[in-house]
Amino acid sequence: MNDGYRVLALDDLERLTSTDGTLTLLPLRRTIGFRPFGVNAWLGAHAGDHVIERHREQDGDEELYVVVRGRATFTLGDETFDAPPGTLVHAPPGTLREATAADDDTLVLAIGAKPGKAWEPSAWEDFYVAFAYRAAGRVDEARALVADTLARHPGTWQGPFNAACFEALEGDDDAAFAQLGLAYERAPTIISKYAPGDGDLARLQSDPRWQELFG
Amino acid sequence: MTHVHVDELDRIELDDGFEWRPVRRRFGIRAFGVNVYAPGASGRVVEEHSESQLGHQEIYLVLRGRALFTVDGNDHELGPGELVFVRHPSLRRGAVALSDDTIVLALGGKPGVAYAPSAWEAMFAAVPAAREGRWADAIRMHEEALVEQPGSAPLLYNLACMESRGGRPLDALLHLQRAVALDPKWAEYAAKDTDFEPIRAEPGFPG
Repeated sequence: MNDGYRVLALDDLERLTSTDGTLTLLPLRRTIGFRPFGVNAWLGAHAGDHVIERHREQDGDEELYVVVRGRATFTLGDETFDAPPGTLVHAPPGTLREATAADDDTLVLAIGAKPGKAWEPSAWEDFYVAFAYRAAGRVDEARALVADTLARHPGTWQGPFNAACFEALEGDDDAAFAQLGLAYERAPTIISKYAPGDGDLARLQSDPRWQELFG
Repeated sequence: MTHVHVDELDRIELDDGFEWRPVRRRFGIRAFGVNVYAPGASGRVVEEHSESQLGHQEIYLVLRGRALFTVDGNDHELGPGELVFVRHPSLRRGAVALSDDTIVLALGGKPGVAYAPSAWEAMFAAVPAAREGRWADAIRMHEEALVEQPGSAPLLYNLACMESRGGRPLDALLHLQRAVALDPKWAEYAAKDTDFEPIRAEPGFPG
């Protein structure tokens, strides 16, 4: 073994559960430092768990999902189908997609990037990991990762919006409103749309500063 | 088609004795390199090679069966769900299957650069047509790839090979000259390449 290559099993990776407990990420890309495009694995420990959350890739990314083991039920647009191990599923940009585990211990690899663009690591990956660390009680690591991610992605609305959610969950309302205000400055229409429906921020809605911000 | 099983992909047995199952071409993926490999007659499942020329980082993930990977001279036996990430393009890597049903998923791309399909894909895809003497089909596949990569010397050289064997000597000569103009090393290859016997005596043949 040397620093030019690395051998590992997907099961060696950390298992990072989302705040709401619906998703489990195995963070392959950031663990090995892969840079050409996005690649991660999602685990459905039990049948019925989500392995791919319901979403569209709004920024033009195309994705390929590979069922490594178990069995998944995929929905792409209007089409729903069974996906045994070895199934490759291609989701063009903009296609609504989701998948749930049909068997326990289902593992799906997700690969994605935007055609014609040099790929850069996305902040969502680090925020996902930070929230999972927080949920697991690793708050100091989570906070450090949030700060580092904000520094590496300056000028975005997603950074301070996620930081606001983090601080709200941690109970630091002053910090949460500072970050939420910054996100609002950068993208008022988007923040006005998403903030009221975000469960992480629900507790803040009774604070007078919420009314000041959103009216 | 939005989905396919690895066993439903096209199977192209290559001269080195492994089987290429094209994934990127199947879906028309433009953002990253992805393909599947299976053992062919030789038992090899990943050809021994480096990525020095393309500068790609690669991940090989075993989806089924077992394979013995050799990376930078070190052996690693991998089973389902196990992978090797080759960060340094210059490292030589390859694998032989340890069971007939082995399937390996290969991912690759160059950090910091927008992905572009590699010229070798069109050349691999044209292998069955060339093997069967369907020169017009083989030539068309190269021409389609050249539309996207007009400055690819390997594609031009391989196209010239197909044209030479397919009875199009003037086109072959023109494309060989263009390949050599881009990189003189192709003249050295052409000097020993039997594909060019039909045009070797033509005026303007590189040498």
